[in-house]
Amino acid sequence: MADVDDSANSPPLGIQTRADAAGAPVIAVSGDLDISGVERLRGAVAEAAAQHPEQLIFDVSDLRFMDSAGIAVLLVAASSVPSVRLLNPTAPVRRVIELTGLTDVLRVEP
Amino acid sequence: MIAGEAADAAALGAPGTGEAAQDRATRLAVRARRPSGAALLALVLGLAITAGLAVTAAVLYHHNERRLLKLRVRELSLVLSGATQGVQTPLASAAALADATGGNAARFRTLMAPYAGPGRQFASVSMWPLGAGALRPRVTLGTPLARAATRASHVSALARRPGALDMVGLLNESPPALGFGYALGGGAGSYAVFAESPLPADRRSSLEQNSAFSDLDYAVYLGRGQHASQLLLTSVRHPPLKGLTASDTVPFASSSLTIAITPRGSLGGGFFHSLPWLIVIGGVLISIAASMLTERLAQGRMRAEKLAAQLDKLAAENRERYIEQRSIAQTLQQALLPSQLPRLPGLQVNARYVPAQAGGDVGGDWYDIVAIDERHVLLVIGDVSGHGVEAATTMALVRHAALAYIAEDHRPAAVLAKLADFVGGGEHDYFATVLCALIDVQGRTLTLSSAGHLAPLLLADGSGEYVSVKAEPPIGFPHSAPFREATITVPPGATLVAFTDGLVERRGEVLDEGLERLREMAISEHLGGDDLLAKLARDLTSDDHRDDTALVSIQWQT
Repeated sequence: MADVDDSANSPPLGIQTRADAAGAPVIAVSGDLDISGVERLRGAVAEAAAQHPEQLIFDVSDLRFMDSAGIAVLLVAASSVPSVRLLNPTAPVRRVIELTGLTDVLRVEP
Repeated sequence: MIAGEAADAAALGAPGTGEAAQDRATRLAVRARRPSGAALLALVLGLAITAGLAVTAAVLYHHNERRLLKLRVRELSLVLSGATQGVQTPLASAAALADATGGNAARFRTLMAPYAGPGRQFASVSMWPLGAGALRPRVTLGTPLARAATRASHVSALARRPGALDMVGLLNESPPALGFGYALGGGAGSYAVFAESPLPADRRSSLEQNSAFSDLDYAVYLGRGQHASQLLLTSVRHPPLKGLTASDTVPFASSSLTIAITPRGSLGGGFFHSLPWLIVIGGVLISIAASMLTERLAQGRMRAEKLAAQLDKLAAENRERYIEQRSIAQTLQQALLPSQLPRLPGLQVNARYVPAQAGGDVGGDWYDIVAIDERHVLLVIGDVSGHGVEAATTMALVRHAALAYIAEDHRPAAVLAKLADFVGGGEHDYFATVLCALIDVQGRTLTLSSAGHLAPLLLADGSGEYVSVKAEPPIGFPHSAPFREATITVPPGATLVAFTDGLVERRGEVLDEGLERLREMAISEHLGGDDLLAKLARDLTSDDHRDDTALVSIQWQT
């Protein structure tokens, strides 16, 4: 039900996993990330974490919105992989991370 | 949706008394027996097409028959024209012989004997010398049918048209006959030959069975036109011919013959004759079949519509059940939240919980306000990540753990640290943001610590600002740094508003915008206590807000 509502007025959540030059998994998340999309992201994170990489990178440059449910998934990632980096967060996403005291836990770059 | 459900209910009929059900069944049965409009239309269309095809086939058939009949009458005319020769040849030969022999009777007899007499071509043949006073036959073979005077008058006419076969009707004689005359010259020394060909008394004659014209009825008239008095021969009992006829007039000897024919059966063949009727029978059968098929389809559709209405009704029932279930879940959530808030002198405490509207799930937001002693109150407000019963049970676990730690130690940082140790990190995938605040009523101080939770709003003297407290990572995440505390002194009459993120989070906007919206709304009217929370809950949580929200206000009254 939430998914149906979601599609009506917000950009769809996009999740794509790739590897960067060093071979570290990069999960690009775009659109709106809220409770209706966290299961998909959780799946992508679990898949990437299953390879036991040294670090996991989230490319959130096109993520417009993230709520506390999205934060929770990032925290799952941060607790299962030694290092989590967050690339180019938009202002709303950056602010959520700051206000929840996660700036140090999730390495926000730049 | 409501209208649709009402219509569904009407279509299905609300469960009623047995009498009403029976009435409904009767109505349905009547409806089922009556053919649908589509079936009637199919029948009418089919019959119309059938009629059109049948008429076309009939018209074509008749057109073809008429054409064939015209061809046949032309053929028959040619045959009749040819028959002239059959008459003229013997008579012309006899006239030539008579002229050449000076009217030798013996030679004439020898030549014409095979033609004259009963059962032969002519009933009588006679030779008449011309230009010798009174006309009188010199030789007569066979038995003359017409009186001598009649024959003499016709012979005298012959003298005026030498070299041409003359034909006269002797239709009033008994038996009736046709007279043929021929003369080579008109003056003295010439001879005329006159022959009579008998006709049946009733003019009935039939063509031979295997002749080319045995499929026709015919009537032959002397001269032009088809006058009954001029009828020579016919194959029918009651002339003239009726129905589809064709006629033709052909010159014959000095006169002419008119022949009329009508087909006995079908000239083009029996199949084409029957084709219109075959079309009618086949078309009617096909139309009825098509109509029945349409009716069956219509019935099927009706059944499908009925089924769809039933499914709609089931869906509506499911929706109701879902709403019911959600309200059960919300009741559960409300039950998990404190039913009573502490009442301390000099402090007004209010709280509200607003469930998520869009998802229909219970959330993981909670709050607790615990009176420590006469002057201290500890506020805990938190948000467990996720929704649903799982989040709610986790919330219950975390909440009761927090209550237990509060009983041991009421310093906010200590409560959060113990809670963080209890929940641990890494073994599960839930987190909780928690704000813990110790309120000193008389001392008007506030000590808080935050595990990833949004800072509360402090309202005083018509202005408002968020309490400056550094958020540590949420509970459930492994961390080593100790929780920090901030202690502030509040002005008299200040109000602390603590909340969860559902109140301020909006899609596509920076969280600060939501925080600023809350701040402005909180100071816009001088409301306090539950009035303030009611206004914030009403104005900041829209109808489709997706996250649940907890709100607490604590107002110093000194």
